[in-house]
Amino acid sequence: MFGLNKLIPVNSDYKFLNYRKNFYIASGFAILLSLVLLFFKGLNLGIDFKGGTLIEVSTQNTNIGELRDILSPNFNEVSLQEFGDENTIIIRLQNENNQESIETVNKVKQLINDKVQEFRRSEFVGPTISSELLWKGFQAVSFALFAILIYIWLRFEWQFGFGAVVALTHDVLFTLGVLSILNVEFSLSTIAAVLTIAGYSINDTVVIFDRVRENLRKYKKLELLDLFNLSINNTLSRTVMTSITTLLALLSLYIFGGEVIKPFALTMIIGVLIGTYSSIFIAVPTLLVFKFRPQEEDES
Amino acid sequence: MKNYPLWKIIVVFILLGLGITFAIPSLLYKEDTGSWYLDNRLNLGLDLQGGSYLLLEVQTDVLIKEEFENFSDTVRVISRENRVKINNIEKQKDVLKVRFDSSEKLNTIREEFLKNYRSVTFSITNNIASISIDEIYKKSIQDGAIKQSLEIVRKRIDESGTKEPLIQRSGRDRILLQLPGVKDPERIKDLLGKTAKLNFHMVDDDDTKSLSLNIAPFGRMIVSDISKEEIKYLLEKKSRVGGENLIDAYASFDPTEGHAVSFRFDTTGAQKFGKATSENIGKRFAVVLDGVVITAPVINSAITGGSGIITGNFTSQEATDLAVLLRAGALPAPLEIVEERSVGPGLGADSIAAGQIASIIGMILVCIFMVLIYGSFGLIANISLIANLFIIIALLGTIGATLTLPGIAGIVLTIGMAVDANVLIFERIKEENAKNTKVYETIKKGFDRALSTILDANITTLIASLLLFIFGSGPIKGFSITLSLGVIASMFTALMLTNLLVHFYISFTSKKEINL
Repeated sequence: MFGLNKLIPVNSDYKFLNYRKNFYIASGFAILLSLVLLFFKGLNLGIDFKGGTLIEVSTQNTNIGELRDILSPNFNEVSLQEFGDENTIIIRLQNENNQESIETVNKVKQLINDKVQEFRRSEFVGPTISSELLWKGFQAVSFALFAILIYIWLRFEWQFGFGAVVALTHDVLFTLGVLSILNVEFSLSTIAAVLTIAGYSINDTVVIFDRVRENLRKYKKLELLDLFNLSINNTLSRTVMTSITTLLALLSLYIFGGEVIKPFALTMIIGVLIGTYSSIFIAVPTLLVFKFRPQEEDES
Repeated sequence: MKNYPLWKIIVVFILLGLGITFAIPSLLYKEDTGSWYLDNRLNLGLDLQGGSYLLLEVQTDVLIKEEFENFSDTVRVISRENRVKINNIEKQKDVLKVRFDSSEKLNTIREEFLKNYRSVTFSITNNIASISIDEIYKKSIQDGAIKQSLEIVRKRIDESGTKEPLIQRSGRDRILLQLPGVKDPERIKDLLGKTAKLNFHMVDDDDTKSLSLNIAPFGRMIVSDISKEEIKYLLEKKSRVGGENLIDAYASFDPTEGHAVSFRFDTTGAQKFGKATSENIGKRFAVVLDGVVITAPVINSAITGGSGIITGNFTSQEATDLAVLLRAGALPAPLEIVEERSVGPGLGADSIAAGQIASIIGMILVCIFMVLIYGSFGLIANISLIANLFIIIALLGTIGATLTLPGIAGIVLTIGMAVDANVLIFERIKEENAKNTKVYETIKKGFDRALSTILDANITTLIASLLLFIFGSGPIKGFSITLSLGVIASMFTALMLTNLLVHFYISFTSKKEINL
């Protein structure tokens, strides 16, 4: 209609897999770097997983420096941060036990009451809860990977399941690595984002695998490398289209959805990019490890 | 359209009609109207309408400890009656070891002890008695305490004037509270944080020596004053009458003493209080709340009417809250707040507005993009997308789901991902089209070929979403619900609605070839 429908031609013929070594190296490096980052720098854990108190206030006739000067002498560990604009400030405090939190919040409220227009939210997560939440999040991600593996195994052959999980693990680690570099706050909603990325990435991978399976039946004589290249090209325009529409929606969420949802939207954007990449450059090449046509090998 | 099965058309229109009909209440109405149809609305989560989420933990360890203290007191009393001397009592983990002077009469003590406590193990080796409880006994103490706590928390919340609270047990020893619209969560936390154990004890003003040494003799205890910790009282350990005998308490004003709490005892309480006051005219009694003395007035005359007044430098709010606490009754064990999430109404409203803008802009962007790429087919996909949104909202409304901020994120994400099924179909049609077959055959093949891919791809998303629902808490559950419903609705709209619309389009324009 506008000529844009030819953006990606029906019969595209990119030899993605011929360059697979480069992508292996690139991804391998990215994963290694992510692991190093996660190990040494770690994630910027929010109070969901670290425990502590968070208070969001909208202020009037003051600035973050003044509030810091008021609060710092009264608490051991207090950090302030502007949230979206200079009149909205987030105050984070660490407290040792549950009882202390109530006193802390009361004290903060007393100290800065006359500078504050509205106490927008206050959150407290106790030490037992934060470790429970972390454990639950870890469980959710592991079970999701496992359940997806089982499903792919049932619907396809097990080799596909292996490829999918390799790609998924790649996505999760890579995304966490990027989160670590960017210092994005890691909270419950970030876990939700990571799981959704897993769902999205597998969705992408399955569409390509589906085509690989179909082509395996259709083109009995075609070499595996060419067959995989063909399958990726068959589904390429769909892969790109869906990524773009999803990214458009996420971008809108990131820009207009408000401060609270930003880390979630950002994590998803990173994940969708990585997930799309991995479906093509990691999941499919992994299948090359397996010999799908033993009889063919014998003939040659 | 000649060969298009009529039943399919009917099903699509019925489902669409239902979708729109049941989305309207959520889209247009904010308040309950009383009509069953209009009240099928989305509930807003606490993060959107403002309010407090609290998770409380009942400190049942304290009860177990108290139980062992009771054991120890009982053993002392019984052995004193039997004239057997106790050398020492030691509390080890879950066992109370009592070392007696001799092993005589220990069986008698054992029998008498077990009359007071059933299902407690009392074993004797030489001159040492071991008193222990098993897990079942412990669990029954804990269960009892949590049930009682739930009831008292409910009473306190009701008395505080919170509307539509949700109060339920969570796990082994926790209580979950959702309090929509609470403006002052600190006050609620204060109300919940107090055990509110009220007791009236006689003051022992004669034994000044024990008080100065700060060692309480048997049957006595030393308690601090509420205003100053240094002021201490020597009290009878056994209370004369307690909060369980109160039937009413309300804030009042005393011209000389200021804000106060007036109370009234039931018949038993009135008798006990009357007896205690008439026997002890000229002495002092102490009002003890949660281990501190609020006031200790001198008894001028017997109080037999069963009502009285507690004073103690209260502010108006403190007096009101104390009255609330006394009316609701004491908690069996202290409560600790282990998690809190409170959102003010301002942030909630901002989040809703931001969510709406993000959804609308996301929607417009995706729609424009689809038309740019697929032309008329893009338009069809957009109609499906809008229908999809109506269906999601209708489903959320009818199942009474709660819309949270992550839930809105789920909807925006769905907007992006819901066109996927359409894209899969269109791309297939495009491929089939290249093979130059007849129009209807091309379309049929396109849909058929895309079907298994759509199912496989969406089921994996549903799996991830289901796990989020199982492991996620509160708002995250909201996200997984909207995402799952979005995925399911998108499969329906793509396979049924898009299919119908594509056929409509082809037959209406009587196209011989597809321009995709």
